[in-house]
Amino acid sequence: MNLANMTDYHHFPIYAIMVLFLGAFVVSVAGTKPSRNLKNPAGARAWIALCATGLSLFFLVMLIKPVMLKGEIIAYWMGSRAIAGGYAIGIALEVDALSLFFALLIATAVFVSAIYSIRYMVHDDCVPQYYVLYCLLAGGVLGLVLSGDIFNMFVMVEILTFAAVALTAFRTKVYGALEAAFKYLVVGCMGSTAILTGTIMLYAQYHTLNLAQLASLIPGTLNNATKLAFAFLYIGFSTKAFIVPFHPLAADAHGAAPASISVLISGVLTKSGIYGIIRLTYFLFQTMNLGSMQFMLVFIGSVSMFVCVTMALAQHDFKRLLAYHSISQIGYVLAAVGLSTSLGISAGLYHAMNHTLFKGLLFLAAGAVLHETGTTDLGKLGGLSKKMPHTTALFLIGAFSISGVPPFNGFASKWMIYQASYQKAVETNNIGFLAVTIIALVTSTLTLASFVKVSQSVFFGQLPREYENVKEVPFGMRLAMGILAVLCILTGIFPNTVTGALTQPAARAVADVGEYITAMGFKSNLPVPEVSFVQAGVWEPINWLLILCIALLALTIVAVAGKYDRVSENEGEQVDTKYQLFYGGEKNVYSQVGGGDLFWGFKHNWRHYFDFMHDLHSGIVNDYALWAVVALALAIVYMMIVL
Amino acid sequence: MTANIFINGLQYLGYILIFPGFLFCFVCGMLLTGIDRKLVARMQKRVGPPILQPFYDFFKLCGKETIVPAAASRTTFLMTPLVGLAALVVIQLFIPIHGFSAFSGMADIIVILYLLLIPALAAILGAAASGSPYAGVGLSREMVTIISCELPLVLVLLAVAKTVGNAMGTGLCFSMSDIADYQVQHGSLITKLSMIPAAIAFAMVIPGETGSHPFDTAEAETEICEGMHAEYSGAPLAVFKLSHAIKVLTLTSLFVALFFGGIGTGLVALDGVIVFALCVIATALFISFVHAVTARLKIEQVFKYYWTVVSGLALVSLVLAWYGM
Repeated sequence: MNLANMTDYHHFPIYAIMVLFLGAFVVSVAGTKPSRNLKNPAGARAWIALCATGLSLFFLVMLIKPVMLKGEIIAYWMGSRAIAGGYAIGIALEVDALSLFFALLIATAVFVSAIYSIRYMVHDDCVPQYYVLYCLLAGGVLGLVLSGDIFNMFVMVEILTFAAVALTAFRTKVYGALEAAFKYLVVGCMGSTAILTGTIMLYAQYHTLNLAQLASLIPGTLNNATKLAFAFLYIGFSTKAFIVPFHPLAADAHGAAPASISVLISGVLTKSGIYGIIRLTYFLFQTMNLGSMQFMLVFIGSVSMFVCVTMALAQHDFKRLLAYHSISQIGYVLAAVGLSTSLGISAGLYHAMNHTLFKGLLFLAAGAVLHETGTTDLGKLGGLSKKMPHTTALFLIGAFSISGVPPFNGFASKWMIYQASYQKAVETNNIGFLAVTIIALVTSTLTLASFVKVSQSVFFGQLPREYENVKEVPFGMRLAMGILAVLCILTGIFPNTVTGALTQPAARAVADVGEYITAMGFKSNLPVPEVSFVQAGVWEPINWLLILCIALLALTIVAVAGKYDRVSENEGEQVDTKYQLFYGGEKNVYSQVGGGDLFWGFKHNWRHYFDFMHDLHSGIVNDYALWAVVALALAIVYMMIVL
Repeated sequence: MTANIFINGLQYLGYILIFPGFLFCFVCGMLLTGIDRKLVARMQKRVGPPILQPFYDFFKLCGKETIVPAAASRTTFLMTPLVGLAALVVIQLFIPIHGFSAFSGMADIIVILYLLLIPALAAILGAAASGSPYAGVGLSREMVTIISCELPLVLVLLAVAKTVGNAMGTGLCFSMSDIADYQVQHGSLITKLSMIPAAIAFAMVIPGETGSHPFDTAEAETEICEGMHAEYSGAPLAVFKLSHAIKVLTLTSLFVALFFGGIGTGLVALDGVIVFALCVIATALFISFVHAVTARLKIEQVFKYYWTVVSGLALVSLVLAWYGM
């Protein structure tokens, strides 16, 4: 093979996967002894992992031009095997705009988290092993979304599940880490097994494992066995996306895992589940034109949205709170994708991207707090903004993004989701979709509430005495957070560029199943769909930002001219009593208002609901396994009835 | 060409700084609060302050010393009032006055709903940054009040979007200027049967959003010392007072724009006066009168009231609008 042949972009998908697995291999070959460098105990191994993830991202970015902008679908056969006797033999990669879209999200999150890990993992044991698992996890997810073969997808699911379980339990000294990993292992394996079972049933029916060929064969030939396979595959991918009823696992796993891994579990693993569900419903079975399937996805999405945001409001731990919000946002994605309109799919994918960015940022901020103070308990922290101003600012950007405050990215995508669901309600004259709009709008405010809680409990309020010596986190960690924060703002104020270059090609790929099939060399007579949408509302972030800046500038000039900043200084050792907080004449004491129960005014009215939820989330793995079984049974019954 | 851009720029700058931007907001907002205070006083058989009292208060406060508590995060504490004020004034630019809107086609009603969160959020973060436990309790209550008002507001806005959308044939319409145009052509939305419950619900939201009686639990001078503003003094406090005044104007003018649009002459200056007069009436009815006859509710009662009674009214309106009545 000559060089020109090797740099052909058709090879880039496999390169992107390969460098990660090679990275894992090289890191493990480099031995397990920590280096003497206290600032980086993994030594060169951290840099190897960083290079591997960076290269992987580079290869995927190079694919944007042909796949996203020109609309080419890369069908790549491993080895030289291809189609023989009308059946696909051998493993194929098939990269359309949808695959590439998810792959780009994954590679970005993995790369940024690798930057963060270098300084974040300083105090841990076994850091070399961490990077092996890290690369395996990244390679597994990337392989999953780029694969064109359903069995290959299952293999990648297995790799990523086991890497994720091991990484969840990585900090074995953390309370609950092993338990969380065990829960994840049990239910995750049930999910993986469901995927395998579904795959077997499909193979027995159609004698092929190739996604494109299955997509050309399955529609129109649904029998009970294929419906069963559908239910199994759906539940399998649901466990990977942690949507209801698998959400408690995410909370445990995120709470115990290192923050850099939480970023991957939340930003990357859940995306692989969503990707699986989209491939399954839109491509393999092409059932999304059915009202019943739309109902299922939108319903589960809305339930996830609302249940998880209320669960988050009841949390006392920073990372567990973020974990529930993660699933809540995934609910938005699922509900939007389930609408099965061009605007809905585009909005859902946009939100999926934003979720990876802002949730990554928030987890990294939580990790920064943990790194400096050693705890993420909302009841114990407070006032960190004076000690960690940069982390606070970055956290606030993430918090505003996830809460859908304009002009950050969360608002741009959520706003498209509101319109999509409302439009769908108007088009189908179905008031049920209107309920989705309302739930989405209210959930957004509840999200804001719980991030106000975090701001007050962790970053503002009063600083406890034991954290007086806390310092700002090292530059490497702030850099990683800064990258994500900048991306959050950019994707928020240039929504049209983002939708044009990334989400619309991906949404078109979702609609154009025929192209996906023919690109692999199979016959399809599916029509080329019309993909376009009009937005009912208007929102021009740049102009708004411009006006706000002018207004703020004018205000600041007036304020400065009027000596707004003429503030009495409170320097020096003896602080005048007028600079103390007002306690109505009482003695000045430490009194932080914060912690888990800040919004009791809201929770009091919902106390029966919260009691019910509290009882339901018992934390016992047997219960959660039972939920999985019940969900599978319900899915089977539902599929048998409606398909 | 350059002269054109220059003139356009000057025009937009005029919009932002003078009308319907800062100057208009400042004068009208302050006047509204002044009228409100006078009316409440008269209803309670007091003489009350002169109508220009808020102006005097503002300038007096600006000259006072600003104290930043030792426990506070200084930058956040001082910057948030300014950001909140700027964000509020920008919202006012998007609310049409009869047929005129300074910046049309830039933000629709759902966006305005979320833009309204920014000033509230700025106040909350400023309060959090002060480090005071009173402010902590205050911001907790303020956030719950925001959640309370959010559901009825959402329902009202969706009902309006559906009604106007039905008439325009698109099924839904979020654009603020389209809603204004529709009312100019077809008369005010309040004349539609289905919109009356929504208008009542919106009127009930106004005291909650502006934090006046009986929904002023977040400030509650007698229990938590003004809550979120407990540590503020001097110019930042003056800015907060101004923000509150402008918020009264924003909400009442939004109410007027949504339900009493189409009353006007086409002359912008005259329409400004008409809208302001309607705002005064709305303030008198929904803020002053309610203030004078009610006592403060507890925070859980506020939440319950909004999510049952007010949301119920708004929901009736939405369902009626849905079936085209």
